[in-house]
Amino acid sequence: MLPQVLFQNRKPRRIATMEEYCRSGGYRVLEDIARGKYSPADICRIVGEAGLRGRGGAGFPAATKWMSVPVDGAYPRYLAANADEMEPGTFKDRMLIHVDPHTLIEGMIIAGYAISASKAFFFIRPSYDSSAMILERELERARQAGYLGDNILGSDYSFDIILHRSGGRYICGEATALLNALMGKRPNPMKPPPYPTVKGLWNRPTVVNNVETLANLPHILRNGPEWYKGLARTKTGAGTKLFCISGKVNRPGCVELPIGTPLREILEEHAGGMRAGSEFKACLPGGASTRYLTKDLLDVEMDFDSLSAVGHRLGTAAITVFDQKTCLVGVTLNLLQFFARESCGWCTPCREGLPYIRDLLWRIENGEGREEYIPMLRQMSRDVWNAYCALAPGAASPVESLLTFFEDEVREHIRLKKCPFSRPR
Amino acid sequence: MPRLVIDDLQIEVPEGTKVIEAAERLGIMIPRFCYHKALGSAGACRMCAVKFIHGPFKGLQMSCMIDAQDGMVVSTTDEEAVAFRRQVIEWLMMNHPHDCPVCDEGGQCLLQDETVSGGHGLRRYPGRKRTYHDQYLGEFIAHEMNRCIHCYRCSRFYQDFAGYRDLGPMQIANRVYFGRFRDGPLESPFAGNLVDICPTGVYTDRSSRYKARRWDLQRVPFLCIHCSLGCSTVASARYREVVRIEARFNESVNGHFICDRGRFAYPYANLADRPRRARVDGEDASLAEAVRAASGRLDQISMNAGPDAVALVASDRCSLETLAVLKRISREKGWRHPAVFPRPDLEHKTRRAVSRLDRRLAVSMRELESADFILAVGIDPVHEAPMLALALRQAFREDAGIVVMDPRPVSAPFDFDHVAIAPAEIGGCLSRITEALSALQADSAAQGKETRRPEAAGPLRADLDSRIAGIVERLRGSRNPVIVCGTDIVRDSTPDRAADLARLLLQLKARPCLFFVLPGPNSFGAVLLAESPGRSFSDVVQDIEQGKVKALLVVESDPFKNFPDRERLERALDRLDLLAAMDYLPTSVVGRAHIVLPTCTVFECGGSFINQEGRVQRVEPVHEGGIPVHQVSGGGHPPRVFSHEVPGGEIEAAWRTALEVAGYTNARDNLSILKIMAEEHPGFARCRDIPTSRSFRVLPDAGDRPPVCEETGDRAAPEAADTLEVVLVDRFFGTEELSGYSPVIQNADSEPLVFLHVRDAEPLGIAHSDWISIALEGGGLEVRAGVSAQMAEGVLVIPRHRLLEWQKLGPVPAQIPFGRISRAGKE
Amino acid sequence: MIPEALKRELLERTARAEHPREMAVDVMYALQGYYGYMSDEAMEEAAEIVGMTPLELEELATFYDFIYRRPVGRYVIRVCDSAVCWMEGYQSVVDHLTSRLGIGLGDTTADGLFSLIPVCCIGYCDRAPAMLINRKVYGELTPEKIDRILQKLATGKPAAGEE
Repeated sequence: MLPQVLFQNRKPRRIATMEEYCRSGGYRVLEDIARGKYSPADICRIVGEAGLRGRGGAGFPAATKWMSVPVDGAYPRYLAANADEMEPGTFKDRMLIHVDPHTLIEGMIIAGYAISASKAFFFIRPSYDSSAMILERELERARQAGYLGDNILGSDYSFDIILHRSGGRYICGEATALLNALMGKRPNPMKPPPYPTVKGLWNRPTVVNNVETLANLPHILRNGPEWYKGLARTKTGAGTKLFCISGKVNRPGCVELPIGTPLREILEEHAGGMRAGSEFKACLPGGASTRYLTKDLLDVEMDFDSLSAVGHRLGTAAITVFDQKTCLVGVTLNLLQFFARESCGWCTPCREGLPYIRDLLWRIENGEGREEYIPMLRQMSRDVWNAYCALAPGAASPVESLLTFFEDEVREHIRLKKCPFSRPR
Repeated sequence: MPRLVIDDLQIEVPEGTKVIEAAERLGIMIPRFCYHKALGSAGACRMCAVKFIHGPFKGLQMSCMIDAQDGMVVSTTDEEAVAFRRQVIEWLMMNHPHDCPVCDEGGQCLLQDETVSGGHGLRRYPGRKRTYHDQYLGEFIAHEMNRCIHCYRCSRFYQDFAGYRDLGPMQIANRVYFGRFRDGPLESPFAGNLVDICPTGVYTDRSSRYKARRWDLQRVPFLCIHCSLGCSTVASARYREVVRIEARFNESVNGHFICDRGRFAYPYANLADRPRRARVDGEDASLAEAVRAASGRLDQISMNAGPDAVALVASDRCSLETLAVLKRISREKGWRHPAVFPRPDLEHKTRRAVSRLDRRLAVSMRELESADFILAVGIDPVHEAPMLALALRQAFREDAGIVVMDPRPVSAPFDFDHVAIAPAEIGGCLSRITEALSALQADSAAQGKETRRPEAAGPLRADLDSRIAGIVERLRGSRNPVIVCGTDIVRDSTPDRAADLARLLLQLKARPCLFFVLPGPNSFGAVLLAESPGRSFSDVVQDIEQGKVKALLVVESDPFKNFPDRERLERALDRLDLLAAMDYLPTSVVGRAHIVLPTCTVFECGGSFINQEGRVQRVEPVHEGGIPVHQVSGGGHPPRVFSHEVPGGEIEAAWRTALEVAGYTNARDNLSILKIMAEEHPGFARCRDIPTSRSFRVLPDAGDRPPVCEETGDRAAPEAADTLEVVLVDRFFGTEELSGYSPVIQNADSEPLVFLHVRDAEPLGIAHSDWISIALEGGGLEVRAGVSAQMAEGVLVIPRHRLLEWQKLGPVPAQIPFGRISRAGKE
Repeated sequence: MIPEALKRELLERTARAEHPREMAVDVMYALQGYYGYMSDEAMEEAAEIVGMTPLELEELATFYDFIYRRPVGRYVIRVCDSAVCWMEGYQSVVDHLTSRLGIGLGDTTADGLFSLIPVCCIGYCDRAPAMLINRKVYGELTPEKIDRILQKLATGKPAAGEE
């Protein structure tokens, strides 16, 4: 069995209790903090040394983000845990909450301490209501145990976590949009400067971290940066990663694996290989806003740097696998349908460009395609990169890679004036 | 200061200047939709993409989002940038209807311009267009959401810039919709600016809808004369009819915007019942005949009863030209000097304000926006000087503190501390602030002793003390404080008190800090030309009653609008041997005058006005005058009347006709009028030298001249506990004379309310919006009550609204005993 | 009008928030829970609680996916239509639901019991195809399973728990 860190308390069909978490060493770090073992700067340093990179998709070093909070920044400061997991194919945050919520809670307290925040918001999407209810219950338990609230464990550090249910939109997962959502404003992203770490919620320094990032913190501090780095299979990687595998494999699900585990190994050993009669055609390696990854790259090591070296992104590490019977024009159309619907409507490329692309794809998929749509799609998927935030560039990735790797399939649709695949039932 | 190169041209710009702005300074207009100087960057439309070749940024970037920095080399014509901008246009045009032929924006549409100049001509998008339902947004603005390109200018202006909260973006993705929660008139008195800032035809001016294309209009840089601020506008006319007013940028006065009163008041100039033919004793006459008749009869009366028996009446909507000519002819003919102000106190306060203002003290409205603390006394900004409210809002957005000291239930689009006290208390408060501040100053100058709290003095309420102390502290702590002072409801000495405080602040902060609001568009000019002490219309009435005045020449003034005792006015006018009226409005005076001499509006003859900070602004005529073609032809076109003369075209500027009435026949050209003006006031000599649409201030240089304080015994606060002091006030709509004639404003106006404090209302059993009846001298007044806790006690706030017979009030100042106010049975 | 107790609770929570607007979505959820959907009147009530204008609240209500501005059924069936579920049989789930309920996407059954709306990825890709009914998720849907779920909900028996 591979080392399980975040999932070390995973139990079949039930949630690890606070007691179980504590037995596994949980809240030990918090006790150390309360005893004065770590200063906020110590936490930043250790996490920095561990090389923890943000798990939300962009892979930004967590400690660097914390340290961009100005030393003389105003108080109160805030932490926001991003559990607005809406990237199609991704469900690791949900798994985390349902496996071991207290590793998350302790992680949040540690991050809050690192940036001297007094309040945190746990931002969760509405379709995870059952997860939200678990968290509310466990937060209350943590509060009763003295891990949250005023003067945590007798120290002079006070910190509380408030659960915020989102109204439900993909864009809310974008850090600055999330802050707007928390403040009761329209969740349009806001381009820095100012950075949220300087002026975030109510103009106070605010750090937004993905929940998986936060869940790593207790373990890094408990076992040290060297241990954490050693978990990875690659030199540049650090720690483990939750991979969500879905699509045409035998055992879809969420598994914790060392970062840098080769894609082929993930699919064959941890997802049970391709389904009978299915043959690997392509996958999205990191959620809907990454490029299609083809057979020739099956041996790629799944970490941030290895993927970017071959022109791909780890994203949320949600691997969706497509087989030879799946129409990728259809898949791309579905993805664009999603992105166009979830555009916040702020900037032109996203608001108008994505529906345009969707329309062209729809025509191709439904037998109304024309040859000239191909250069149009190609150009437009480049042009939407000049959008306000990263949503449209993300949406362009599957389109661009479809045209790069599967142009023949697109042309086949146009030539036949219909989809050459039988529709998936 | 960063230095950068844009399209091979070098420019140095201040730190923080956006690249799009730097380019504009070089004369390079980078296409844009969402960017607007006043609203700043949004990064929404992506139209201003340019190529960054060298420097800290590389590649295609939005020029509105990036500050100019040293070493940048930018190309606006780079192929990639041009192609991307063309793509943006295609995206925006996917859903934009091709309804330019029936769209009022056609011809002045930014989207149209960019579409054509960007070269997007062929539709490639095979899909259908999006459609929306439009909303009813009130009488001023038509809504056509299908045209929207989602630049967010409207919501950014409406909510962020102007501070109103009933229009904004709803929905998501490509369904984003700009509108209200439900149909209904926009609440912002600045909503008309949506027409100007919308880059296409989503918001169009209903009052000018379907009337003309931009290129068919006679467009002239113009001036707003609907309050004392003197905002810059563009006036447009077609077929002898004013059809549209737009805001014009003025860096000293109004910035980019104007208020809805200024924008929609213009139809007074197009009224079908405007006096267009001269009349003598009820019979139509030519202008020349009527001038002869007036001239003859005035001379006759002068001869029989002495020239002193002829009085001139003017108003602060008269141009400087007219006021100068009236002064000249009254002096030369020996007639009584024109009475401009309806009440003596208004005349007095305006004169005091003007005499206290100098070049070092006076703050322009734009400068006011950068104040960090503002004390506004005796002013309800939205109602008395609407654009002042918008300026205060900009200061507020930059974290300025604002205190409003006023008895009214003031509401404004910014947060402020309201010190709700009666008019009589305001002056005292100002004095105490000045004393405390100068005492503190003396203390700290002496030995830096501990600060002394201002002592409670006089009969003022105890809770005022801490508020005054707070104001003193804030004035002390601010870098750039400004005192704003109204002249309508305050006591006679209050402008002087405000100026005293401002003089002290000038010493302390070495920055201009005084901003007066005056009663009307040319009040400043009127007092510059007035004899001292000036006379008001009520003096004239008294003189008529005493038989001293037998003839009135009323020039562009309507005492029926602003004299508080209608009965007395009528009796007085009936006693006259001659009532001659010169006006372009169908006023009551015109209706009852023996001789009517129609005049031109400012649109037809231009004119000069001096705003409340002493800024002389002169405008040229927009069109030549005459009855609108539309009215001559009865709606058809072309007209079926053929003659050498323009129908109604013989009418002239009031000053020309006035000169003729006084017998000057050879002093009628423009050069002569400039000469007359310069002779009547040396400050106007510069009028010769400045082009129109430029302005200058006639303020005296600072000098350290000690303020000439006239000791005026202020009326005390009413002693009797069982009366309410009547405070007559202006309202955004309904009280200003010219806009009151605008049908579109009449339709948009709401019912006037008479306000009283909840503690005054409760004993009378009056609740908010109850009908009440007030027994006035001249009869009963039935009106809806506004009951508020956010106002002073002991006052009854009555708007001089055209739908309210407030002229039954009788003699002012007035106290109304509680016993004369009761709930009316009416529902 | 919502019950006084609920209003008091919401006002208290709003008073505790960093800024009243922070509670905008929570208050809408609470009123939606009470009324079933956010009617215009509910919007105005909610706006007052959080100190916003109805328009300001509408800007949010119409932005979000889980605030219903039109009446919906007691059970809102939200079928995931994102890539994995789409690949694994979204269409047949919708076909089955529409024929069983006799309504199209976006509609509500005449008895006011069910509404049928697509939803984007609900994070149950490992158990595709999936759907969300009110707060509960149902995965690995088959026609039989859907029938059982509908049956339970329609007859008022306790809804099937999450597997």
